[in-house]
Amino acid sequence: MSGYNVRKLKEKLFLFLIGALTVLMFSPLFHIIYSVFNNGIHVILSRRITFITGRLSDGGIGPAIIGTFILVFLASLIGLPVAFLVGVYAYEYPESTLGKATKSLLQIMLEFPTILVGVFIMQMLVVPMGTYSALAGALSLAIIMMPYVAVYTHEAMRQIPFEYRDAAFSLGLTRVKAVFRVLVPMAKRGILTGVLIGIAKVAGETAPLLFTVGGSYQTYQIGITKPVGAIPLLIYTLIQSPAKEHHEMAWGASLILLLIFLGIFIPVRLSLREVKV
Amino acid sequence: MIELALETRDLKVYYGNNMVIKGVNLKVPKNVVFALMGPSGCGKSTMLRAFNRLLELNSEARVEGEVRILGRNIYAPNVDPIEVRREVGMVFQYPNPFPHLTIYDNVAIGLKLNGLVRSKEELDKRVEWALKKAALWDEVKDRLDDYPSNLSGGQRQRLVIARALAMKPKILLMDEPTANIDPVGTKKIEELLFELKKKYTIILVTHSPAQAARVSDYVAFLYLGELIELGPTRKVFENPEHELTEQYVTGVLG
Amino acid sequence: MKRRQINLRHILMPFVVFVFALFVLMLAVYVYNSMPIFHREGLDIYLKNMWKAAEEPSKEHYGVLVAIWGSIYTSVIAILITLPLSLAYSVFVIDYAPKRVKEWLIILSDVMAGLPTIIYGIWGVFVLVPLLKKIVMQPLHNYLSFLPMCSYPPITGFSYLSAGVLLGIMVAPFASAIIREAYQMIPFTYREAIYSLGATRLEATKILLGYIKPAIYSGIILAFGRAIGETTAVSLVIGNTFNLSLALFAPGYTISSLIANQFGNAFIYEYMTSALFAAGLVLFAIGLVVNLAGIYLLRRWEANVRL
Repeated sequence: MSGYNVRKLKEKLFLFLIGALTVLMFSPLFHIIYSVFNNGIHVILSRRITFITGRLSDGGIGPAIIGTFILVFLASLIGLPVAFLVGVYAYEYPESTLGKATKSLLQIMLEFPTILVGVFIMQMLVVPMGTYSALAGALSLAIIMMPYVAVYTHEAMRQIPFEYRDAAFSLGLTRVKAVFRVLVPMAKRGILTGVLIGIAKVAGETAPLLFTVGGSYQTYQIGITKPVGAIPLLIYTLIQSPAKEHHEMAWGASLILLLIFLGIFIPVRLSLREVKV
Repeated sequence: MIELALETRDLKVYYGNNMVIKGVNLKVPKNVVFALMGPSGCGKSTMLRAFNRLLELNSEARVEGEVRILGRNIYAPNVDPIEVRREVGMVFQYPNPFPHLTIYDNVAIGLKLNGLVRSKEELDKRVEWALKKAALWDEVKDRLDDYPSNLSGGQRQRLVIARALAMKPKILLMDEPTANIDPVGTKKIEELLFELKKKYTIILVTHSPAQAARVSDYVAFLYLGELIELGPTRKVFENPEHELTEQYVTGVLG
Repeated sequence: MKRRQINLRHILMPFVVFVFALFVLMLAVYVYNSMPIFHREGLDIYLKNMWKAAEEPSKEHYGVLVAIWGSIYTSVIAILITLPLSLAYSVFVIDYAPKRVKEWLIILSDVMAGLPTIIYGIWGVFVLVPLLKKIVMQPLHNYLSFLPMCSYPPITGFSYLSAGVLLGIMVAPFASAIIREAYQMIPFTYREAIYSLGATRLEATKILLGYIKPAIYSGIILAFGRAIGETTAVSLVIGNTFNLSLALFAPGYTISSLIANQFGNAFIYEYMTSALFAAGLVLFAIGLVVNLAGIYLLRRWEANVRL
């Protein structure tokens, strides 16, 4: 029965291996979180509030934080309505040719290289305007955010039991009213989740901002046609600097970004079962 | 005394804290078709899965008591479920040949895994033998490399029977094997049972009293996890001792 | 009633059409802006490794072969790392992890998938690259330098290997999510069937993974699509050098890192912008084809798996 023993041994090895590989898969995540906290916390503690509010010359990343908020706000303003309505369309007309194509397009855009969006916006907006701007960055982010929110909207509405749909229509409501007054409110939790996931996603994007926002870290800019900064972009710039001090700031900024991301993502993720990433 | 193919002693099965088989004692003689019948939810499929320790796939399930196959308690601490399953074949409610394996490989898979044959020729022979035993050979001999998706439901189920027979099991467990099969396919499989019981002991789960009456030699009636009645099929159907049994075989009890 | 139904369509349609138009416009912008370099270099833009920027347009010459190679090479390395991890993870989560652990493992993988790429980038530059250099590249170079792959001396550590490993870590959760879902969708009856034949857990897992092979392929393809499009983290660790090489420890370029590094200054030159658009067009095409293929495979499999 040696063949049998070999099989049992292989089985034991296999169980050990999949456990070990699973641990291996997550070890970078833990090490990343550890590194970011460990390296970032010193900078933040030593500079206190200056780090959050100060300009780059004061040793702070204030303009970048404001910039990220402006960009995310503007991107949401532009992207969310479109995303929502496209998601509703994909739900309402799933069998039409355009409906099917919409679903495929959303999937493709979900996976699309984000740098290509940034270059596109640069060519279409930055070059004609002759300046980098918050608007250009926000447009890039809006395009990237759109498919996330649309897919979530679509999924959230598909979760509504069919009887409610029938009920809504049997009340004699028009399709517009049935959808927007009855069905959408029923799906609002799922839609909100999508919105938050989309925001968490674009708040951390770097590539689409490279050629669109300009990156302004010494002054607080107000006005959507002016260049702004953003935390991820600032980190990208600081890493490439030869100065050690800049690297420290990059870690600090990473910690702020990580906290923003986890602050949005974890509560959202805990409140629902599955996430489309 | 006749040697028993299978015997249970105070068999209890729990799902979590829920007892679903409540202390059953069964004796199954060799070379018979033994039907486990009862309405859906009575625990017959669960009990069948206690006979090859397949219940262990469900982490909620827990077994107490003994199941003896040819005298050996398969729940004894030194018994490996893999050995048990090699000796006890199983056919399922939904005809489930592996769709990504060819017809040939579906029959060969158990033999290959357990190293039961020594050479390719022996494997070929055994596959042919099993397919013939399952009365499927003539229908598939020219397309052994096809995938089972082109077979009818009844053919697929006979392929599953061949898959189990290939390992020359001592006992064949069948969990409502005709539940998802059309009447023609059902008839073929029932005919097959008469052939197979010459060599094997078959334990058949069915929710249809009519099927139990048609094909079995012995029948056990299970209701809400308890064994209500057990005996030669003819006797149980013609002269049931228990009122519930009578209601069930006459169709009063769903 | 008929009129009212048309109304909803009328409200929604313009937005859908707008999104499609935007996507087509994006493609058009890439094609249009690539034209000058196509006229100048022909197919050489994709078949040569050359990057001569010059104030005088007549002296400019561009070929982005190295970037295409780098994108594919690093993404393949990434897949080789991701595949065993995501297969093991999927099997572990579905078959062996207790319920609570299972939920957490899924949450962790979602966190990994959503984590800002720049955070992978900073970790890659300051932690992963030095680590790989010390424990992988230097020993391999010392002992196996006769192999072309290990022949390049790991001076900085910024290399194809570093980029590939970092990408592998980053895309693992994407491949995992697809493979895990497929593995979970396997009807229970097939699990019962394989175990009823006396299979060990290893043997059963092999058969069941065979059953979801199309989903594994689509997981790999979609992860490849993610890897090839990733910009920030890669451009920080790949070394950004026009170096067409099989050597794992050598610095290189990817399409996205080439664009990230050069596009900002490209307007100074007559043809560089166009060359970068041509590179972007390749990325566009790869992204489109890869994602369509992955999505198609996955949908077809999902339709088949229902009993």
